[in-house]
Amino acid sequence: MIKIEAATKTYALGRGVEIAATRDVDLEVARGEFLVITGRSGAGKTTLLNLISGLTRPTSGRVLWNGMDLWALDDAHRSALRNRQLGFVFQFPSLLPSFTVLENVVLPTAFGSNRRDPNVPGQAAALLQRVGMAGRRNAYPRQLSAGQQQRVVIARALINCPEVLLADEPTGNLDAETEREIIELFGELQATGELTALMVTHAPHLVPQASRVVEMAGGVLRAGG
Amino acid sequence: MRALAILIVILAILIGVLPQFFNCQYDGKGLVLADGRQVPMKCYWTARASLAVAILLLALGLLLAFSQQQETRRALAFLGAIAGILVILLPTWLIGVCQHPGASCNLVMKPALILMGILVVVASVAGLVLSSRRPEPTA
Amino acid sequence: MSPLRLVWKNIAGSAFRSWAVFLCALVVGGLLFSTVLLVRGAEDSLRLVQQRLGADVVVVPEGTGDRVETALLMGQPTKVWMPRQNLDRIGGVAGVAIASPQLYLASLANAPCCTAEMFVMAFDPQTDFTVTPWLNRHLGHNLGLAEAIGGSDVFVPYGEDKIRIYGSEIDLVGSLERTGTGLDTALFLTFDTAYAVADGSYTKAVRPLEIPPDSISAVLVQVEPNVDPRVVALQIAHDVPGVTAIPGSGLFQAFHTQAGLLSRIMAALLGTVSLLSLLLVGLTFSMAVNERRQEIGVLRALGATRRAVLHSLLVEALMLALGGGATGVLLAALVLYLFRNLIVASLMMPFRIPSVPSLLALAAGGLAVALADVALAVLLPALRASNLDPATAMRE
Repeated sequence: MIKIEAATKTYALGRGVEIAATRDVDLEVARGEFLVITGRSGAGKTTLLNLISGLTRPTSGRVLWNGMDLWALDDAHRSALRNRQLGFVFQFPSLLPSFTVLENVVLPTAFGSNRRDPNVPGQAAALLQRVGMAGRRNAYPRQLSAGQQQRVVIARALINCPEVLLADEPTGNLDAETEREIIELFGELQATGELTALMVTHAPHLVPQASRVVEMAGGVLRAGG
Repeated sequence: MRALAILIVILAILIGVLPQFFNCQYDGKGLVLADGRQVPMKCYWTARASLAVAILLLALGLLLAFSQQQETRRALAFLGAIAGILVILLPTWLIGVCQHPGASCNLVMKPALILMGILVVVASVAGLVLSSRRPEPTA
Repeated sequence: MSPLRLVWKNIAGSAFRSWAVFLCALVVGGLLFSTVLLVRGAEDSLRLVQQRLGADVVVVPEGTGDRVETALLMGQPTKVWMPRQNLDRIGGVAGVAIASPQLYLASLANAPCCTAEMFVMAFDPQTDFTVTPWLNRHLGHNLGLAEAIGGSDVFVPYGEDKIRIYGSEIDLVGSLERTGTGLDTALFLTFDTAYAVADGSYTKAVRPLEIPPDSISAVLVQVEPNVDPRVVALQIAHDVPGVTAIPGSGLFQAFHTQAGLLSRIMAALLGTVSLLSLLLVGLTFSMAVNERRQEIGVLRALGATRRAVLHSLLVEALMLALGGGATGVLLAALVLYLFRNLIVASLMMPFRIPSVPSLLALAAGGLAVALADVALAVLLPALRASNLDPATAMRE
């Protein structure tokens, strides 16, 4: 489903100095897989996710979605792909502070063709129910704990019924108990088999449902971890 | 809401103070009666009445600044709008000002009271709208 | 969730930024509207007075042109005299179709409280072409003895039914439209009424009205068709000693110049304010874009295109500019309308609110400049935001 071919991403730091966040990475992700990516800080894990999702362009190499080169598309098509086929869970608090919980969940629909779909509020409510946040739909992010916010982010990631869920250290800022709860939620969602999940985490042992674990070290991808 | 209340307080002070310095009595002009006595003209009484409304508006503005209850704010904002309308009506219909177009009451007091009355009404209506909104859910 | 709701939420989410843009647009829109309105109002007023006088040439005693213009525009009465026989001489100049004499008098104002003087203009009903057309249109007849019409600000005091000048009672039978000039406080009556009042003043008034015998103050001239008024004016100045002949187009030149100067000063002020506003809005928006980098990155990750981000920021700024500009224009219109008499009195310049279509055009202009100012200010920051690499933007 997703294929990365010899993807290298370098950043220019100025004065002719460049740093390679990833080097010649090859990766294939099958439909329905739960892939965990581990590695130390600065190993290139987040960059790998950004390459897969088209949030950053590879300096060399290709990123293919169902055989289609992501960077052969224009910005509008690439954005549409992210909107309909990808769901994101970030490590940092990514809810918009001026929007309520419900408004944050339906936010991705503002950029898609389903913006006027009357079923969207109902779908959002069902998702909030599923992540255990139904009673806080009118609350603002500042009134929620970090764990609660992350649950809402997961609901937002699923509003457009994506094929792929990308999670970058989704439990990085959470306490151990909340971390376990969030990982369990991921496992439940992925277990339906309709969702392909890629998760970056520093603690792969917390993800027993992972079908495969790979490790990033110095920008290079290694199997196992 | 507090900003609107402060605006109303400032307007109240202007409504009370400004007419005292722009009326014919202050300019030394009065109505001379047949027996030679000089009595104040309409603009003087308009200035006095404006002072009264201004005191009311000042109290209202201060209450609005410190009140927390939505219903209280709504009531105060409504009263503020009424007071603003009174400020407009004082120099135009309720009492009036002098006929002479060059008199300071006509040149300054009347247009200033109308302008400030309009601003009070607008601020009060804005306060009414804000205090009618659904409050944020508590955590 | 519509894109417009997204914009509205962003506006509500940052009070400081939103108020900064709103207030800048308010100031720019209001200032443009009021400066153009002031200058336009002054020009309109001058034009109306020139039309009202209807004269192709105005002949006054030599050296009194400025005083007469000030009397007509600012309502400050003046007494100027020249021999009545000048009327015949002027009438005999080639190219003169009608020569109508006028008397300029001053009267104590008609309210017992007030001691300001009122400008009184006496005209000859047989030859007059200034006031008579209005009389025919609105009253159907000319003024009789002890009758007068007033400018828009002349009034009969409460409790009385006539105006009193120099002890004589005069019937105010009509009011002219507002011109925004001294003509609004002037009283117009016939020569017969003026002489009757003067005669009666010796016994009825505190001080008498003195009209020098066989004297007039001015002669208003209409020239024959296809004749250049400037040529006639020159001829009059040549043929009639001791007079100044002012062609209609040259009337109120000093005030035209003053209006022009005011226009230039206002334009400079407007230019400065617009530039400062542009810088402030640009800076505020740049800061906002910087603060919202991560948020913009998230929106891109959720599927917003570069175009959608640019569009959202521009619409946000333009909505604030529209609100601010409209408020500024409305406030300016309200203030200028309410304080129009004070403007005339303090600027010593005629001023009149233009017609509604003109006002709407000026309002649209003010709004357009406010919108353009803000759009220009936010364009660069908005373009930068939309071109941010989402991955880089989300990195703290």
